[in-house]
Amino acid sequence: MSEAVLPSAPGRRALLSEDQLAVVVGLLVFALALVGLGGHDLLGWVASTSVWTDPAKALGAVSKAYAQLGGVPALFATFVALLTTLSLVTYANGGDVRKFSLAFTVVFVIAYASWFVGSYAHLAAVTPADFSKFGISWSLRLTNEGGFLVALIAGLVIANFFPRFAEWLREAIRPELYVKIAIVILGGFIAVTAAGKLALASSLLLRGVAAIIEAYLIYWAVVYFVARKYFGFSREWAAPLASGISICGVSAAIATGGAIRARPQVAVFVSSLVVIFAVVEVALLPFLAQTFLAHEPLVAAAWLGLAVKTDGAAVAAGAIAESLLTSQAAVDGVRYESGWIIGVTTTVKVFIDIFIGVWAFVLAEIWTKHINAGAGEKAQLIEIWRRFPKFIIGFVITFVVALALSLGGGLTQKLTPAIAEANTFRVIFFVLTFFSIGVLSNFRKLWEEGIGRLAAVYFVSLFGFVIWVGLLISWLFFAGVKPPLAA
Amino acid sequence: MSEPELEREIDQRFVEPLLPVEKRLIGWSLGVGAVSLVTLAIVSRYLPF
Repeated sequence: MSEAVLPSAPGRRALLSEDQLAVVVGLLVFALALVGLGGHDLLGWVASTSVWTDPAKALGAVSKAYAQLGGVPALFATFVALLTTLSLVTYANGGDVRKFSLAFTVVFVIAYASWFVGSYAHLAAVTPADFSKFGISWSLRLTNEGGFLVALIAGLVIANFFPRFAEWLREAIRPELYVKIAIVILGGFIAVTAAGKLALASSLLLRGVAAIIEAYLIYWAVVYFVARKYFGFSREWAAPLASGISICGVSAAIATGGAIRARPQVAVFVSSLVVIFAVVEVALLPFLAQTFLAHEPLVAAAWLGLAVKTDGAAVAAGAIAESLLTSQAAVDGVRYESGWIIGVTTTVKVFIDIFIGVWAFVLAEIWTKHINAGAGEKAQLIEIWRRFPKFIIGFVITFVVALALSLGGGLTQKLTPAIAEANTFRVIFFVLTFFSIGVLSNFRKLWEEGIGRLAAVYFVSLFGFVIWVGLLISWLFFAGVKPPLAA
Repeated sequence: MSEPELEREIDQRFVEPLLPVEKRLIGWSLGVGAVSLVTLAIVSRYLPF
């Protein structure tokens, strides 16, 4: 999705796109996890971090079958597996493997260290039982997913105070690749979660359809009108900007730019802005959701899916919201099943993504027939497929397969731990995403680039309209619908 | 086009009035969006959850 903000691969042609590679890696993790159903635990060695006060006890292999491995060797094995896989991905994507390997080593160390720090009991412990278990009297109650925020902060510090170091890391700063892999894996996790409450899950899917209508028909039209009428932007700037603010950030801005034949730099400028504002949203909106929507967790989840732009930031915000809202509910004695809040945020976001190609086609049709009518070009239906985010296919495959296995009967007891192992990789890819988003967010550079008026449209539209209408629609469709309680 | 030129371009206001087709696009989007939302909101009231 973020071709515009990623390093371009010099000299060598990509064999597969980032999107396709994310599907390959996500499905590989999912398939290896499913081998566990046959009694062969192939992923149990992946390192997981528990909430800790004694750092020596924090790390361990996720499966008891690999408990004898020990925490540090499990972490090393996890690192080697990721380095090897992602180096192959970099090669297939036309990148510089040597540069990537060096940068990824540092990225992994910092990102995993962030998760480790975020799992410290004073940050992560939630319930009175946890407090008593760890012998502590206070905690920020972030759950161990507070590590996501630590990773984001670490990335922001590097981007804004050590820009040369950030530049050196860039080959491995690939938030969209990481989050797409995570979303493919997440499909299986959501399916296992949904299988037990199929009627509720179906209802949530239907409610999620409202998100598409809002993003494409209401948000886009209003933002385009505001940018054209009140800020005086040309069509070439206003259309990618409207798509960036209202649909799905970077990919939508690029797709729209391509559809209306805007200069490539226009989409690049808009994309930079999208990434920066997405960071602000991730840092702000989940906490606002915790403060004001604690008793409507699914309203909060849908709201984040609608309001936060870019897949990475939206799903990341859903993950933070899930940890904040479930921990707050736990304090009040309510224990929600995990997976529903992030599931709703992801579903809403994925629904919006699906139609990027269709919207780009509609705009291309209007532009070629009515606005640039003399250019002699014609919108082509194949563009819909070309613009379709392929990682969604991976998400649908893992969701359908895991749902079928869950409902097939007899496998649930083996499927849940198998998917949990894959889910540990999902969490690691999330941490890498958060760190990468932070590293891409150089506020000073954006300021120096002087795109203040563009930022003004974004600010006015996002905070004056998008998040409020998003909240209204989320309330309309999700108020009163609660995640199931944990058994 | 160089970056400084683009930055200058961003700071300019363009005299590019809204064409009738743009007005139709905005109007139809909002109209269809509003009607669809109301319809879905009514349907959602009959959902079991």
